[in-house]
Amino acid sequence: MSHRLLQIFSLWLFAGLSCSSQADNAQQLIRQAIDNYRGITSYSEATMTIHRPDWQRVIAMKAWTEGLDKSLVRITAPKKDKDSGSLLLDDNMWSYAPKINRVIKIPSSMSGQSWMGSDFSNNDIARADDIIDNYTHTLLETKNHNGHKLFIIQSVPHEDAPVVWGKEVLQIRDDHVLLEHAFYDQDGILIKKLTTSEIKTISGKTIATTQRMQKADKENEWTEFHSSVIKFNIIIPKNTFTLSNLRNPR
Amino acid sequence: MNSFLLIFSLAWRNLWRNKRRTLVILLAIVLGVWAMIVTAAFMRGMIFQMLEDTVDNLAGHVQIHHSQYLDDPVINNSFDPDSHTISRITHDPRVLMWSDRIRLPAVVLSERETTGITMLGVNPARESKISFIGKSVVEGRFLNSSSDTGIVIGQALADKLETRLGKRIVLMSQDINNEIADRGFRIVGIYDAPLDPTEKAFVFVGKETAAKMVGLKGAISEIVLRLHDTDMVTPLVTEMDQLDHTIDVMSWLEVEPYLELMIQMMDTSMFIWYLIVFLAMAFGIINTLLMAVFERTREFGLFQALGQKPRFILFQVWLEAILMIIVGLLAGNFLSWISVMATGDGIDVSVFARGMEMINMSNIIPFVITFNDLMIANITVAVLGMLTGLYPAWRASRLVPADAITRI
Repeated sequence: MSHRLLQIFSLWLFAGLSCSSQADNAQQLIRQAIDNYRGITSYSEATMTIHRPDWQRVIAMKAWTEGLDKSLVRITAPKKDKDSGSLLLDDNMWSYAPKINRVIKIPSSMSGQSWMGSDFSNNDIARADDIIDNYTHTLLETKNHNGHKLFIIQSVPHEDAPVVWGKEVLQIRDDHVLLEHAFYDQDGILIKKLTTSEIKTISGKTIATTQRMQKADKENEWTEFHSSVIKFNIIIPKNTFTLSNLRNPR
Repeated sequence: MNSFLLIFSLAWRNLWRNKRRTLVILLAIVLGVWAMIVTAAFMRGMIFQMLEDTVDNLAGHVQIHHSQYLDDPVINNSFDPDSHTISRITHDPRVLMWSDRIRLPAVVLSERETTGITMLGVNPARESKISFIGKSVVEGRFLNSSSDTGIVIGQALADKLETRLGKRIVLMSQDINNEIADRGFRIVGIYDAPLDPTEKAFVFVGKETAAKMVGLKGAISEIVLRLHDTDMVTPLVTEMDQLDHTIDVMSWLEVEPYLELMIQMMDTSMFIWYLIVFLAMAFGIINTLLMAVFERTREFGLFQALGQKPRFILFQVWLEAILMIIVGLLAGNFLSWISVMATGDGIDVSVFARGMEMINMSNIIPFVITFNDLMIANITVAVLGMLTGLYPAWRASRLVPADAITRI
C-alpha cells in the first residue's frame, strides 16, 4: 500500500521534474522522484469520507510510513472500527480486525475488492509500486497552474505488465503535487479519477491535503481523503511495521 | 415331436381366437418393452455424454499428479516430467496421447471485474488433440506455441469480465516462493464450451509463459493421458501407481467419483424401473390368460375326458403365454430400434438448457443402446413373463374333467 498511500497522502515527490520537460525523459523523472523518496519517514492523521447516494461514512485514521516499502494504517474512529488496521510490507498486505482478533493476509483473490469499503481497491493501494518499470511514460503537454508548471504525463502499461488499465494520465505540478490521476480502460473510456481539491504547505512541503477518488459512471459515489496532520522525518520505533504491532496497538 | 407340433399349432390358433383381446395385451407388452429399452438407451446416453464431457473436459482417462497435488493444488506440489517413471508411462503402448500442464489456481482481473479461475499452462499442439479446446475456439485463435504470450478464455468469462478479444487482462497467482506472481496477457482467442461453468473456470496460456510467470523450471502440475480403450484404464493405473510413491496415477473414476456413483445409481434405478414396468405387464398377461382358460373350461374338460394328459394342457396354455411374450418382445425391440434410429444424433433438450447446465449436462442427449441393457430388458421380460404364464396354465391343468364338462 505504501506507494499509493504516499500518493493519497500527497507525498508524490517529483524531484527534478521542473528541470526537464523532454518527453522521453518522463520515465527518468518518475524514477528520480521515487528514488528521492527512499528512506523518508512520515506520520499523518487523515479522514476518509465514503459517499454513497443513500449514506455517507467518515473514517478517521493514523498512518505511519517508512520509505517505500513499509506502512501501517490504524483506524481511530468510528468506534466500531477502532483499532482495525492494515500493514503493508513490500507487496504483502495484512489486515487486522479486533472483533475477531485475527490478522488476515490479503490474498491475491481479494486484490480487486475495496479497501475498507472505499472506492480504492486493495490493488489500488498495494500495487501501485511498479509505476516505473511497467509503463511507458510520455509527457503530453506542459501547462500553467496557479503560477506553477503543470506536467501532463500519459502512462501506458507494457504488453505483459500486470495492469488492467489501457492508460493512465497524471497531472503533476513542478512542486511535486499530484493534481489528477485518471484511469482509462482499453477502449479509452474513463473509469475512475483521483483529483486534488486542496493544497497546503505543511512542514515546509507543499502537498495536496484533500483528494477525491470518483468512479466515472457513478456520480454520487466517491471517496475523499483529507489529511489534517502530516509530519516528516520523525523517529518511528523499529517494531512499528510488524504483525504483532498490527495486532496489539500500543 | 409330432405332439409338440400339435400343441404348438393349438396354442398359436387359440391365441388368435379372440384377436382383439390378444392384440390389446400384445400392445401392452410391446409398449412395455419399448419403454424399457428406450428409457435405458436415454439414461445410458446421458451417462455416455457425461463421461465424454468429463474426459474431454480436461480430465482425460488417466491423470498424473504430485502425490499432494489433489489435497493442495499449489505450485509447490509439482513434479518433473522428464523423470524415468513419467517417460515410462507416457511411452506405454496403451497410451494414445497425453498432454502436460501447469495447472494453478489464479485470479483474473479486467478493468471492471475480478474473479477466481484455474490457469492452465499447456503445450497447444498436445492439448488441442486431447481436450475440447482444440475444436472450441470460436473467436480468434488457439495458442500457437508453448511460449505464446496470449491467453484463451471462455465466452462466459469474457462476458463476466466485460472484456473481449484483443484486450489485455491480468492473471495473478503464487510463485514458487509464495510471493504474488502476476502478468498481463492479451486475449488472442475465445472458446465456447458446452457448459458455462467450464468457460468461467479455465483459461489457457502457453506452458513456457506460465512457467516463467510463476518461476517453475521444467516442473509441471499434471499430465493427462488418453488411452486406446477405456477398459485399459484400471490395469494401467494399478500398474503405474506402484512405480513412484511421490507421484499419483489416477483414473478418471477416482478424480470424478461423483460420475462413478451416478453410473452405479443409474444401473440400479434402471432395474427397478424394469420391474415396475414388468409388474404392470404381468397382471395383463395373467388376466388375459386366465380369461382365455375360463372361456375354454368345457373344452379342456373334454380334452381330458378324451384322454389328454394334464401336463399337455399345462404346456399348451403356457406356450400361449410364451408365444405372446416372444411376439411382444420382437415387436417391442423392433419398435425401439426404429425410434432410436429416428432420433439420429439424439434428443435436443435445449428447451431445458439452463436446467441441464445446472446438472452439468449438455443440450443434446444421444440414445445409446448397449448389448447389456438390451439383454437385461429382454431376459427380465422373458423369464418373468414365462413364470407368470405358469399360473393360468397350472389352473387349466388342474381342472377336474367331470366338473369342467358340466360347467356352462
